Amino acid sequence: MNNYFIGIITLLLSGFVANIFSKKLKTVILSLLVSVGSVFCAIPAVKVLFGHENLVANFDFNTIFGNVSFVIDPLSAFFILVITVMSLLSVIYSNGYLKPYLDLKNISSHLVFLPMLIASMLAVVTCQNALMFLICWEIMSLSSFFLVIFESNKKDVLKAGIKYLVFMHISVLFIIIAFALMSIKSGSFEFETFKAVLQNNTSFANIVFILAFIGFGTKAGFVPFHNWLPDAHPAAPSHVSGIMSGVMIKTGIYGIIRMITLIGIPSKEIAYGFLAISVVSSLYGVLYAITQHDLKRLLAYHSIENIGIVGIGLGVGMLGLTYHNPLVALLGFTGGILHVLNHSIFKELLFLSAGSVYIKTHTKDIEILGGLIKSMPVTAILFLIGSVAICGLPPFNGFISEFLIYFGMFKGLEIHHFLSILLIFFAISGLALVGTMAILCFSKAFSIMFLGMPRSENAQNVTTDSSKVMLIPMGILAIFTLLIGIYPQYVVFWVKRVVFDMFSENIVNFCQVCMIPLNIMQTIALYAVLFVGFVTLMIFLKLKLTKGKIVMHDTWGCGYNRANNHMQYTASSFASPFLSMLRPLFKKVFDIEKPKKLFPVAAHFHLHIEDIEEAYVLNPLLKFDEWFLSKFEAMQSGNIQSYIKYGMVFLLVVIIASLFIG
Amino acid sequence: MIMTIVNLIILLFVPFLMLGLIKKTKSFWAGRKGPSIFQPLYDFIRLIKKDFVISKTTSVVFNIAPVFAISTVLFAAMFVPLATGSAIISIPVGVIVFSYTLGLGKFMSIVAAMDTGSSFEGMGASREACFTSIVEPAFFILIASVMLLTGNYTFDSLSHIISNAGSYGILITIFAVVVLFIMILTEGSRVPVDDPATHLELTMIHEVMILDNSGSDLAIYSWANGIKMLLISSLIACMVIPHHLPVLMHVLCYLSVLGIVSIAIGTVESGMARIRMSHVFEFIFVMSSLALVVLSLVMARMFGG
Repeated sequence: MNNYFIGIITLLLSGFVANIFSKKLKTVILSLLVSVGSVFCAIPAVKVLFGHENLVANFDFNTIFGNVSFVIDPLSAFFILVITVMSLLSVIYSNGYLKPYLDLKNISSHLVFLPMLIASMLAVVTCQNALMFLICWEIMSLSSFFLVIFESNKKDVLKAGIKYLVFMHISVLFIIIAFALMSIKSGSFEFETFKAVLQNNTSFANIVFILAFIGFGTKAGFVPFHNWLPDAHPAAPSHVSGIMSGVMIKTGIYGIIRMITLIGIPSKEIAYGFLAISVVSSLYGVLYAITQHDLKRLLAYHSIENIGIVGIGLGVGMLGLTYHNPLVALLGFTGGILHVLNHSIFKELLFLSAGSVYIKTHTKDIEILGGLIKSMPVTAILFLIGSVAICGLPPFNGFISEFLIYFGMFKGLEIHHFLSILLIFFAISGLALVGTMAILCFSKAFSIMFLGMPRSENAQNVTTDSSKVMLIPMGILAIFTLLIGIYPQYVVFWVKRVVFDMFSENIVNFCQVCMIPLNIMQTIALYAVLFVGFVTLMIFLKLKLTKGKIVMHDTWGCGYNRANNHMQYTASSFASPFLSMLRPLFKKVFDIEKPKKLFPVAAHFHLHIEDIEEAYVLNPLLKFDEWFLSKFEAMQSGNIQSYIKYGMVFLLVVIIASLFIG
Repeated sequence: MIMTIVNLIILLFVPFLMLGLIKKTKSFWAGRKGPSIFQPLYDFIRLIKKDFVISKTTSVVFNIAPVFAISTVLFAAMFVPLATGSAIISIPVGVIVFSYTLGLGKFMSIVAAMDTGSSFEGMGASREACFTSIVEPAFFILIASVMLLTGNYTFDSLSHIISNAGSYGILITIFAVVVLFIMILTEGSRVPVDDPATHLELTMIHEVMILDNSGSDLAIYSWANGIKMLLISSLIACMVIPHHLPVLMHVLCYLSVLGIVSIAIGTVESGMARIRMSHVFEFIFVMSSLALVVLSLVMARMFGG
């Protein structure tokens, strides 16, 4: 456990140390120190995951906190490994990405907050004391806020950052209420003591779980609390978006999983509700992703989708717990937790590729890109691998977790309850729809960006691929996606161990079903290896045999042979048949300037699709808020005496109220 | 081993015969003699020998996509009970691996179509992506309903419907066959969803996606498409053929089911025109609603006393 604290302290200090050095060395020193810190943190996690004992460290702050304990159990160990590996790769990538920004004055603070975010996430997933947990949580939110507003001279970046800050504080409010309720009942801040309170009282557990779900769900990005995500991710620099989307939002999932372990057996209503919200989240996320043409916004919406898929896995697991079906619980939780890992791998890969494209083309709008596979072949292939993986297609890692979740759902049909069967059918068809819509979305994104002809100067002027220091972390992530896809049995084995540790006391016969997913994974592994081998062989043969038999010519234009880059299909037109089918689910904002007069000059057409929740719920709420608060403008006199008077009145009210109530 | 070889031969060669039979049926209804039933096979051989013309705009993606098209259908076929009534790999929820493997092929063919930079091919790719997204959920609802009814999670469950549910089973089978038939029309890009014989690029889906492919690439795409149709027809065969027949009998029944499906496709193509593009959704949604009917039949059987 000492290693762990050394690691965290190294991370916390690394930013300050890096800033001492000259401009060129800063990021290099930072990545060195972060790798040292990550290794120190990862060692105990690996020990726990492979060994059989949890690591515990206790600190006694008896006056305020009580006993503060940091525990690494298999669940924490799993999250620690995800956080350290993914963050480390992002930090190495930032060496290349930050190069054009080294003269910005925000760079020093950026380098301080980046490792601080990593350290606080590591603290969050191990801390077992509610008060300390909240402090670490808040450090995490604030440090990521400062990372988001890196380019704070841009107005929309600042706006997105403030939106993020507000959402995070609403979320932490709910977490505080949930924790406060539990600690009042149990008389202590320790998670262990919460267990007893929650497991004896179902209605209390329901209320606490709902509060905690709103809090953690906002961080994770469940619909309807997702609104900060599509703004904050595009605003942040790419390596930060990678960490935030790949890792940080997973701390919300961690919180939810921790709550489930505390509750033990969730009630029927909670399991149903959670599953339903997850399905809606994943559908909502992918639906809006299709409408987006800003690459990073598109990826942010896909984060919502994938958090939904993780949620479907956890929801199925909860159904299994509720109805005492060990296999369903095992499959659901294994699939959900494995998807946490998988999503962090391919989402980070995609965000880093997006950054690589942004650095070269200076735009995030995919409509004006095109043909980049010729100038940036490595980035293109890596993005393609990431796209296939995120669609959940074999032989990549996304498929493995989605397969487990599907398997859990099909097995869940054995629970003979009318409502649960209907819900599972909703989830199965929802997940199938999500999968195919993801195919639509990513075939769009990949082909518009990288294939065809360049649609603008931005894409035309790119000559070289990004630097190696950016491409290597991406390559490592791509290898991870393939490795998990073709050797799933090992990863599933570890994740199964995590699940087993969490729920073995709550479920009987857990041991008997343990081997089922592993056996199936062995078959799938064989299948995937054969598939990869076959495809590689065939590609090799094809390229070999067709050499010299190819004649190059223009694209067939149906008789018209002066096709140019403006005649290509665009992202909007690609998505349009699908979107026209689902018309009522969007709010379309048109911005049209029609050609006028006899010799028309300028004309333009712009279609913008607004998030339906933002348009019909959040904006009216904000309007109301503005109107309501404007009533108090009179109080803001600018006169110091009257401000002191307000304070006095407030104090008086508090004193009088405490006399009566206390 | 012999069974595997029989299955493999049927898997690789019967798709051509199915395409030939469809053409023959269409000729019959049109009062023509029509080409030989082996014509698609001759076409295939002729195309394989030819050189390619490839667009200058394309990249390596365009070049390797046909490989994915053929390997995904061949690997997906491992999960489907073919002529001899048993699949090579039979694992629970193999249906997921089956349709996600096909999904990979679809992804690559969409991306390859976009690679040419032609707006016609973009149009086809976009429609293909769009229609698939409605087909898949309906297919999953159907399969899950059948699995719920039979309590068996492999594709074998399809052959247990009637033995498990009696007269209910016959009703369910009828609806399920219609769902799968619509799926063949959509996935195989046949009339009324798509017209493989049309000469107007604006109204095509699958054909327009491979507009720039020539030579063996083109041959492989149409072969893969035929195999895909055969796979879905095999699911129909699996449902209607009683599952403890002797092997030889089973193979014969299987082939005749494939024949009937091809004739049915040919008849539908002769009997109706292609639906207007904006109404294709409605046609495919018929599939979803019928799948829901199957689900409600299963639920009625389980909870309806």
